[in-house]
Amino acid sequence: MRIDLDAVQITRDSWSVSATGTFTEGIHLISGDTGSGKTTLARIIAGLSLPTSGTVRREGISHPMISFQFPEHHVTGSTVSEECSSWGLDPTVILEQTALTEKAGISPLRLSRGELKRLHLACVLSQEYDLLVLDEPFSSLDCKEKERACTTISGRTRGITIIFTHEQEQFPRVDMLWEIAHGSLHSRGSLPNALRTWEHAPEIIRELIRKGREPANLTRQDIREAACRI
Amino acid sequence: MIELSGIRHTNLDISSLRIPPGTTSVIGPNGSGKTMLLKLLAGITLPQSGTVFIDGLHPREIETGWVNEFPDRNILFGTVFDEVASSLRFRHLPDKDVERTVEILLDSMGISPLTDRPVYDLSGGEKVLVALAAALVHTPRFLVLDECDSHLDNNRARQIERIVQERRIPYVIRCTQQVESAIRSDHVIFLENGRVAFDGLPTDVFAQLHDTPFYPLSLECGI
Repeated sequence: MRIDLDAVQITRDSWSVSATGTFTEGIHLISGDTGSGKTTLARIIAGLSLPTSGTVRREGISHPMISFQFPEHHVTGSTVSEECSSWGLDPTVILEQTALTEKAGISPLRLSRGELKRLHLACVLSQEYDLLVLDEPFSSLDCKEKERACTTISGRTRGITIIFTHEQEQFPRVDMLWEIAHGSLHSRGSLPNALRTWEHAPEIIRELIRKGREPANLTRQDIREAACRI
Repeated sequence: MIELSGIRHTNLDISSLRIPPGTTSVIGPNGSGKTMLLKLLAGITLPQSGTVFIDGLHPREIETGWVNEFPDRNILFGTVFDEVASSLRFRHLPDKDVERTVEILLDSMGISPLTDRPVYDLSGGEKVLVALAAALVHTPRFLVLDECDSHLDNNRARQIERIVQERRIPYVIRCTQQVESAIRSDHVIFLENGRVAFDGLPTDVFAQLHDTPFYPLSLECGI
């Protein structure tokens, strides 16, 4: 399974973003500022949009999935329970998992922003895909739910998972680190070496590196262990 | 001082809460009632029972600015200038005064190059800045930021924090999931199941949240 981006370029008026690189099986994190082109690139990698120029080649990917930043864009069920069924899942299991059993009969659009995102992610992450593109999966989630989503994503062992995010506080375990900076996609390589050249590194990671306590990866546990290392 | 007393509204149940002047961060799990609390404080919603007073006045008697998580859903006008100028125009202020006030504000926020741009064409971060400008243009005494940092990168979030600080607005209440930035507030309120579980200085509130995902990693690691 792999995706190759070959001289991909997207141009709109005076704005553009370019990308070249290969994504193989594992968890890839792509960070970037708002407006840098994360969503645009996510849609192109998922096959929903075409680039202005360049090619996207997919090998061995027959079951792709994209999770949009705004979960309401996915809603098709008229109740929370129907929404779970629409993903081919057992509502009882998902609603228990997301603590939304009491809201099974209401419209998904009446849930709070965080609750809807929680429901949506539970539905998406309950299944296996060859390619899973997650566009800002942590926005609107509270700290506890972010931690839970990170643990679930860290446990993915099959397929290509690509996370686009500007998150600065909670991360899953990551195999490869990328970032969009200065109008193009840059590969920073595998962890932990990638951390040294990561322009979007959160302050706490920069500080740990300054102190010579480089974390092995990005999870809260990795950061705790690095901070406590003597 | 903001004073809430005997509040019962949907899932909110707050018998008494006092919020001193300064910047207050409201944190807590999804569905704990954060946005509803902000709506009551801003006077957008009136409580089913109980009272809210800001320096002894009803919230609807106070000049209030509101920026929400998805500002483009609240934006009404085509260009940045028209959007920011709208509340002054609704008050029938002379065009020259409106123009001057908006120009000075956009310049002080560093976004004057956006003046004539169509709002729909802006990035998410720029839209939040425009919504913030529209909220600040009438010099509010009370500013509400409802998770507007949720879709912003760190640089934009810091920029907004700086702009708000420079204004010296008597009361700023922000609801956020970025606990590292909540440490920098003057006060923190932790809501859980519609009730105020903890409130006070950031260090005191976070001390109660040790061993929870709401405890900032920088405090845990001593960094």
